[in-house]
Amino acid sequence: MTSAPAVGPLPSVVPPTADRFTLSNGLEVVTVRREVAPIVSAALMIRSGAGNDTPELSGLASLTAEMLDEGAGTRDALTLADELERLGADLWLGSGRDGSQLSVQAPHDTFFAALDIAGDVLVRPRLSDSDWARVLADRKTANAQRRDQPEAVVSVVSDRLLFGEAHPYGRPVEGFTRTLERLTLDHVRAFHQTHWRPNHAFLVVAGAFDEGSLRARLEAALGAWTGSPPPEPAAPPAWPARPRLCIVDRPAAPQSIVRLVAPGTDRLSPDRPGLAMLNAILGGSFTSRLNFNLREKNGFTYGASSSFAFLRRPGSFAARAAVFAESTAPAVREMLSELAGLHERPVTSEEHAKARATLLMRVAEGLSTTGGIAASFGDIGLYGLPLDEPLRFVAALERTTADDLRALASRYIDPEAACIVIVGDRAAIEPGLRDLGLPAPVICDPDGDKL
Amino acid sequence: MPALVPAPMLKIEFETYALANGLRVILHTDRSSPLVAVDLWYHVGSKDEVPGRTGFAHLFEHLMFMGSRHAPYPAFDAIMESWGGHNNGTTSNDRTNYYEIGPRNLLETFLWLEADRLATLPEVITAEELEKQLKVVQNERRQSYENRPYGRAELAIPEAMYPADHPYHWPTIGSHADLEAATVDDVRAFFDRFYRPSNASLVVAGDFDPAQARALIDRYFGWQPKREPPQRAPHPATPRLAANVEITLTDRVQLPRLRLAWHTPALFAPGDADLDLAAHVLGGGKSSRLYRALVFERRIAQDVFAYQGSQMLSSVFHIGATAKPDHDLTEIGAAVDAEIARLAAEGPTEAELARARNTHLADFYKGLDHLQTRADLLNHYQNLLGDPDGVGRDVARYADATCASVRDAFARALAGKRLAMQTLPDPVTA
Repeated sequence: MTSAPAVGPLPSVVPPTADRFTLSNGLEVVTVRREVAPIVSAALMIRSGAGNDTPELSGLASLTAEMLDEGAGTRDALTLADELERLGADLWLGSGRDGSQLSVQAPHDTFFAALDIAGDVLVRPRLSDSDWARVLADRKTANAQRRDQPEAVVSVVSDRLLFGEAHPYGRPVEGFTRTLERLTLDHVRAFHQTHWRPNHAFLVVAGAFDEGSLRARLEAALGAWTGSPPPEPAAPPAWPARPRLCIVDRPAAPQSIVRLVAPGTDRLSPDRPGLAMLNAILGGSFTSRLNFNLREKNGFTYGASSSFAFLRRPGSFAARAAVFAESTAPAVREMLSELAGLHERPVTSEEHAKARATLLMRVAEGLSTTGGIAASFGDIGLYGLPLDEPLRFVAALERTTADDLRALASRYIDPEAACIVIVGDRAAIEPGLRDLGLPAPVICDPDGDKL
Repeated sequence: MPALVPAPMLKIEFETYALANGLRVILHTDRSSPLVAVDLWYHVGSKDEVPGRTGFAHLFEHLMFMGSRHAPYPAFDAIMESWGGHNNGTTSNDRTNYYEIGPRNLLETFLWLEADRLATLPEVITAEELEKQLKVVQNERRQSYENRPYGRAELAIPEAMYPADHPYHWPTIGSHADLEAATVDDVRAFFDRFYRPSNASLVVAGDFDPAQARALIDRYFGWQPKREPPQRAPHPATPRLAANVEITLTDRVQLPRLRLAWHTPALFAPGDADLDLAAHVLGGGKSSRLYRALVFERRIAQDVFAYQGSQMLSSVFHIGATAKPDHDLTEIGAAVDAEIARLAAEGPTEAELARARNTHLADFYKGLDHLQTRADLLNHYQNLLGDPDGVGRDVARYADATCASVRDAFARALAGKRLAMQTLPDPVTA
């Protein structure tokens, strides 16, 4: 009772069985049964997203996704929303860096009715001028509101500095005000026509669906959807030179939003499982080095963390914290010292064991809900990975050693390579940053334009 | 349209019993994943605080992770994370919950850690630990409210709605001055009063053997002494606004926002579910009345929302709308008032009621898919009704609502005096 109880062996992680078939129009479908609750989740992944936007038309992929459910087939925008709600169905459309997505979640009794509406949205969107004027105006306003949100500002600015504006990951998914001014409904029609095609897509259906009729209902809802895949986009440019320090001034801000960014790697990299483990140790868990130092030891923040964005093209590594304005310089110092610390105090065997268990259980937990299953297999489809990817990931976690993690740290974690971006009260924080020996900051506006 | 799954299918299977010391235990098995969740609720929230120590229940929640006699700091997090488990706690006006999720082989560890801090926390708490978590919580306040758009309104609404002696007058996060005034003696006294087995309920959910779980719970919690449930302050008088209240704030925002608020019946009281449905008809999703009128047709608002903020002592009905550039809150207010008047006079249509009810039911199903949500629901009903078996009763409230009952509850509640709070862009910092 007084000492920690013995802990038995970790249970093995057994991903659910996935079945696969192809519809007559070439759409790949993967199904996973789960019967804990009477719901069905479907995720249709399109292998084009904001990464396919040109610099001039940044924001197009996400606006295209948003326009599709503004009326489709026989229903106008409000009728369509009304009928989905009456079915208790959620329809979600959006874009990320590498893909676009249409998701439906509904009770099993109404799922097929919701699927029919989703089929209209995919195949027969109305794309009317009046809806476009409203959606575009809403987006312009939302973009203007981004400057209210310091966490959003730090993301936009740090991506722009790390990747450069010529790289699609260097521009926000939602676009800039100036690119929204150029976008027209014809651009949306063309993007839909080119990219939202069945043989450039992947559908996951998870949950308590009716197995006997699923295939026929999918053919009925989506069979009229045809077309050929788009051409491959050109390779993006190499990493540009980046400043060491950038400040976005937010006078009198009570906190500074601190982000350290550096090059990471891509989704298909064999280093991904090891880097996920390394990140758990550095900033990807409560007891990680970053959180323990900044939150628990120093009380600078409510939480510090780090992450790798594993994308089709190499993505970013980022460390982040929102800190007391007066703690800004010491927080930056400690964040840099924890990156250096992975070399000075290499990963221990205890940390390695923790990272392995943490990642294994994240796989199990991720696959323990219907929505989580749809998201996990949707990701697999988006990146063209084999269906047994969860099992391969688990095997890779199990064979990655502490030495492997140390080697990854020396290849990927370099405090000198990081670009430090801070949204905060410039007058209050700049002297302390100078005292750390950092160079004079580049000053940007909330869109990342240099002032 | 096809009918949704009928409500009687909605059930969470469980077994329940109490230990001799009063700890309520609820066991719910689900073998679909090799995971187990432990969810422990203490029936104490910011409503149990006193003026001068606001924010204390939440600050205390942070201190629960600062070590116990046999698991000194930082063992609580370190031990469970070393095996792939994770945990957190949350505090509301009405209750504090702590939960752990992890592989099934961690069940005994979770129970041991929870039991040890319930038995020994005051023995090890120090002023240094209090000071450190004070800073963390002050950062949380800045991150969640002070440096977040429209966050000042969130802090100001409860203060404007409730009189100074009502425990919903202050926000759960508390004030900086009160947080800084907290002492180790306050921590010990609060623990002594509220952290008792008889004031807690423990849910174990997931992949475990119930007989084995019972034995473990007996071993770790059964020996702890029986103490009476805490004495509560008398139930405060039902709050009401004597007159309409108008408040204008500034914040670091681009666009002005209007917030309206009325006092409404408490969670589970007659009218509570009706008002939840009315909120959906007014502001839930794209086909709601406010969205249709203000965002879709007239295009004067960037966003609208409405919700019944249900709580144990009394609730608040909220409406919010953010003006589009070149529109002002006078125009927004008039358009919102017109929709309020129409719903109060006519009630929802049958189609609107069906839509609101089905959306609510579907959201319930989605929650049932998630192990930790199920565990939390069992504790929610235990805390509220004294019985974990609340799903059927809860869902029936929505099934029984009619167009007339929604209209009447809405008309009655919104005929009362209201708060109108404007957040305007700060001319200096926005």
